[in-house]
Formats: sequence, structure tokens, C-alpha cells
Amino acid sequence: MKVSKSAKEKTKEKILEEAVNLIIEKGFKNASMREMAKNAGVSNPTIYNYFSTKEKIVFAYVEQKHKETAEILQGIEDFHTYSLREQLQTLIETELELYLEDREFILQISDMVFQSGGLKLDALYGNNEVFTDMVADMLSIAIEAEEIPRPPFEEHLPRLFWDYYIMVVAYWLKDDSEMFDNTTQFIDHSLGVVEALLQSSILNKANDLGMFLFKRHLLGALNKFSVKKTGFSKMKRKLRGVLDGDE
Amino acid sequence: METNNDTLQKKIPSTKLSRGRVAGKAMLKIGVVSGKGAVKRAFMSKEDKEASKSDTHAEIAKVIIDSLGELKGVSVKIAQQIALGLPFLPQEYLDEISKSFNSIPPINKALIRKIIKQELQGYPQNVFDTFDNNAFGAASLGQVHKATLEGKELAVKVQYPGIATSIESDLSVINFALKRFAKGQNIDHLMKEVEQRLTEEVDYELEAGNTKFYAEHLKHELIVVPTVMEALSSKSVLTSTFLEGEGFEAFLKANPSQEVRNHYAQLIFDSFFMGLYRLKMIHADPNPGNFIFMADKRLGMIDFGCVKKVEESFLKDFSKLHVLLIDKASDEEVTEQYANVNMVDRGDKADMLTFYQSTIKPLDRIYIEIFEEEKFDFKKNADFSQRGFNTIMEVQKSQRHALHKMNADYLFIDRTLLGYYNIFEKMEATIDTRFAQRLVREGM
Repeated sequence: MKVSKSAKEKTKEKILEEAVNLIIEKGFKNASMREMAKNAGVSNPTIYNYFSTKEKIVFAYVEQKHKETAEILQGIEDFHTYSLREQLQTLIETELELYLEDREFILQISDMVFQSGGLKLDALYGNNEVFTDMVADMLSIAIEAEEIPRPPFEEHLPRLFWDYYIMVVAYWLKDDSEMFDNTTQFIDHSLGVVEALLQSSILNKANDLGMFLFKRHLLGALNKFSVKKTGFSKMKRKLRGVLDGDE
Repeated sequence: METNNDTLQKKIPSTKLSRGRVAGKAMLKIGVVSGKGAVKRAFMSKEDKEASKSDTHAEIAKVIIDSLGELKGVSVKIAQQIALGLPFLPQEYLDEISKSFNSIPPINKALIRKIIKQELQGYPQNVFDTFDNNAFGAASLGQVHKATLEGKELAVKVQYPGIATSIESDLSVINFALKRFAKGQNIDHLMKEVEQRLTEEVDYELEAGNTKFYAEHLKHELIVVPTVMEALSSKSVLTSTFLEGEGFEAFLKANPSQEVRNHYAQLIFDSFFMGLYRLKMIHADPNPGNFIFMADKRLGMIDFGCVKKVEESFLKDFSKLHVLLIDKASDEEVTEQYANVNMVDRGDKADMLTFYQSTIKPLDRIYIEIFEEEKFDFKKNADFSQRGFNTIMEVQKSQRHALHKMNADYLFIDRTLLGYYNIFEKMEATIDTRFAQRLVREGM
């Protein structure tokens, strides 16, 4: 019998939920896939149909929260009247709010990423599309509405924002103020900086300056010093091609 | 109430370090300004010197307030409190300070959503039928949003997160800055008073209690106090019924007739005396923004964050003193009563009398001048509050040389009262003081 997709989704969510609970209780290392399966009411082999490793459960959790956040944001009727900064702030606050329930789980993941190195942060990027897509959306709308000038490296900004978000989560995990008020203020103030940067033309001007220096001086210097035809000059040619716009 | 978009948009320096730096920057600027004045003055005639001094004061005042403005948050409120509590600061400082009334830290849509969810366990659109994300007014340490629920129009006051915890660090910065200007004046009691007021003011639950108390006990058919919606309130969110009407500025701009101005001023005046003598509690923030000029001749009172309770025994002596003054009792009797309210130290009778006559006596006028006739015209006496503040300042200056410490509560009530009188001066109103005088006699 074919399992319908929604039932499959439900099972997946159930496994996730039980896995998170078990990891909070026993720690990532001591939580076994077998017990997760048992708690979720699925057979031992079945769980592997959903998640081949425990790490994948962590990734799936992060993705799950992104999806829930996206749903909540879509439910805000007047979201389009929010400024870019307000939209980004709501995104972060909503994610954190969802994390609150599983704060201890997040703490463990954070330890694995930053302390024991048991988990590679890079590995998480693959499951971030929902998050980065949301950010990219907000950015492109803001650019289109001329709320901000088009920033350089626009396509990399969503990923950069994710890195910023990781920093916020790290701050939140260390925050012992009442109701995590300090985190709220940290987000408010730091996004103020992000907003100011995006609204100003500083990013563009800095980019212009960098490009000018690179083209005028660094490329010239490279020419002078590379006498022999090497792989290096091949790269240089390629670079010049890119810079001159004739890719 | 008015929104203040300029200040809404500015950022708040967050850490104590950055706050300290802002204050430090202010100290630096002050040094420069004072020095400039001194150099200029050396070459000037006496009159010019006075004028230049006044200029310098005005410049310094601006620097202080600029830096207070940068500190934002709690500091705005502190500026207001200092305006009330530090009469020895030159008037220019006070003018600058009062300009900061109604400035508040910004709370954007994302924050509003978060705060409401955190405090009322639901997003604004779920908790209320409608919720306007744009604030319609500034409030003490927060902003006010309009909402509706089940056909009722509501005012939702929201506080910036973490403000309560920043009071202490804000105050230590201000304390440091003010000590230089107080020049030997003891400002500790003032700072303590300010801290207490602020701590109370950030506690919206306390304010909800005060509002309910006023609503229940201030029995006046033309004075309206909003109803607190307890289920929709918390420590940092306060929801109450919305009072429809005009703010102070809009009211005056519409150029109301003398009769109308007198009417509303009378209500404000009576509300103060009823509060003091019947509720034994004063609305101690004489900010005209706290009054709503409603239809049908009604007056709305809002913002009960800054409320001061008055001790019953003190009030009795306080009333008796003023009845003696109104009835023109002898200086000896008056001196004795001043001693009862701790404004004159007990000791040798002749010394007490001399101290009263030489130092305290000017204060008499502040309280009883308005009672000399049945009506008091604030248009003719447009400098009354100014004179009063100057008197308090003079009295406090003379206190510097004595070991004696005057009753801070007494002076606080006087200053608050003068704050109210300043409103009436702006309204150019004539007030009937007979009811208030009856209340004073009742209070004995």
C-alpha cells in the first residue's frame, strides 16, 4: 500500500519531535535511532527511510523551523507594509520564538558546532534554502520598491544574513536576561546597523573603491611580476575578462 | 498626544559603555562652551556679560539635552523629572529639558508583534479584532497603539523591551553628569526620588492599579478616566479604553473661547485638588499631554504612571499650615506649623522664627496666592509658575548653607502644583478657587 504524502509528512514530523525530545533528555551522543523509532511508534528500519543518520535529523529540524517560520510570515496580512528591516526582524524573532520550546536542543547543537566540532556548520547550509529564499525575496522586493539601492554581491547577501542569524542564536543561547530582553535589543540594534548599511550607498562605494584599486594597481603589479606564462597568468587573464565584463 | 516621528526613527545606544561615551562626549562639549563664554566675557560690559552668561547657559543646556536625547529611553523621562526636581538649574536648562517631553524610543512593527505575542500570548491580529501597527501617540517610556475588540476602541500602551533594567545604568550616567552642575548641591535625594518614580513608571501593572483607583474614587461627572482591560495587560503592555478627543496643542490651536478654556482649566485644577485631598494621591506628571479634551465638556485623564501617594498625617499638617496662611495667622503660629511639616527645624523659638522669616516665607505665596480672591486669573499672572520655581530655587540655594534639610515631599507637591499652573498660564484661564479652598479646609 502506498503511503499518502501527508501521512508520510506526519510520520516525519512525529519522528522529528520524538528525536528532539530524546536528544534533550539523553544528549545527542546517547540518543539512539532505535529509541527514537520506538518513541515515534515506527519500526526500527522505517526510521532509516526518513533519516539515514542522526545528523540528518538535526538538518531536518532546522529546515522544519524555516518552513514553519515561512508559514507564519505568510500569514501576516500587512507584511508588505513592513520595511525591509521590520521584515528581517520579524523573520528572526519568529525563528527564535519557534526555537524557544526546544532551547536545550539548540544548545546541544550549538555546542556540537562551536565546541566539539561534532557537527559542521557548513553542512547546515544545504538545508537553508527556505531561509535564504525568504531573505532573497525580501531583498529583491526592497530593491524593486527602491527602499534600498541595489547592493553589490546581492546574491550572496542572504547567506551572509544567515551567518548573522547564527550569531544572533549564539547570543540568545548565552542570554540570561529576563524574557531574553537583551537578545531582543541586540537584534533591534544590530538590524539597525544592517538597515543603515543597506540604505546607504556605502556598500556600493566600497565596492567601487575596491574595484578601482584592484584594476588600476593590483592587476598592473601582477603584470609586472609575472614574466613567465604560468597558470597564474591564465587566472589573471580570466580575472581581467570578468572585470572588463567580457565573460 | 502627538507622535514624534523624528525621534521615533533614531536609534538608542544600547550598552552602558556607549551611553557613558555619549555622556562623555557631552562633558567634552560643555567644557568648550563654558570656556568660550569666559573668554568672551572678559571684554564685555556688565550687561553684556549677563546676556553672554545666559547664552552660554542656553548652549550648555542644549548640549546636555542633546546628549540626553541620544541616550533616549529612560533618559527622556529623567529629563522631565529633573525639570521638576532641579530648580537650581538655570531656566535655559529647564526649557531644553521640557522640549524632550513626549519623545520616546522607537518600537517598530517587528518589535510590536514580538512584545504583544510575548506579553499577551498571541499576535496582535489574533488578540485584537484590529490593531494599528503605527503608533498614534507617545507615552511614558513607550508608545500607544489603537486597537479594537468586540466593538470597543482601545488604547494599547507598549513598552520598549529591557527598559526596566536600563534605569540603573542610565541614572548612574546622569548622576555623574549632573554632579558637575549641581556644584556642591546634594542631588542624591533627587536621584533617589527619580529612580523610584522611574521604577514605578515602567511597571505598567502598578499603573493599571493607579488608573483603576482613580477611576473608582475620583468622582466627577465631567472627568473621564479610562477603563483598564486587565486580561489584555501585563507588566509592559497596558490596554485600556480609548478616549476620543483633542490633545492640548490641538485644543489651543482651535482657538477656544475664554469660557471653554476656563471650563477645562477648572476641571484640571479640581482634579489635582480632589486627588490630593480626597484620594491622597497626586497625578505628579503635569504634562499637558496627559489630558484629553473630549466632547460634551468632558476632560479625559490618562497616564497614571507618575502618581505620588501622600501620607495622611502629613496632609493634615500640610492643610493646617495653609489654612493658617489663608487666614493670615501670626508668624509664630505659621512657624510652628512649618516645623510640623518638617520645613523648619525645631529649636530655639526665636531662631525658628528668624529662619522662617528670612528663608521660608517666600514659599507661602506659591500656595496661597490663588486663594486670596474667589477667582485667579492666570492670564494676568502669566509669570506665576516662573516666579514660583524661582522662589523654590532661591529657598533651596539658601538651604545649601544650613545643615537643615527641608521636607522633599513638601517641595515636590509645590513643584507639581506649579507645573499645573504653567498649563493654566498657557491656557490663559481664569479659575474659581473656592472649591479647592473648601478641600484644603476639609483636609485639616
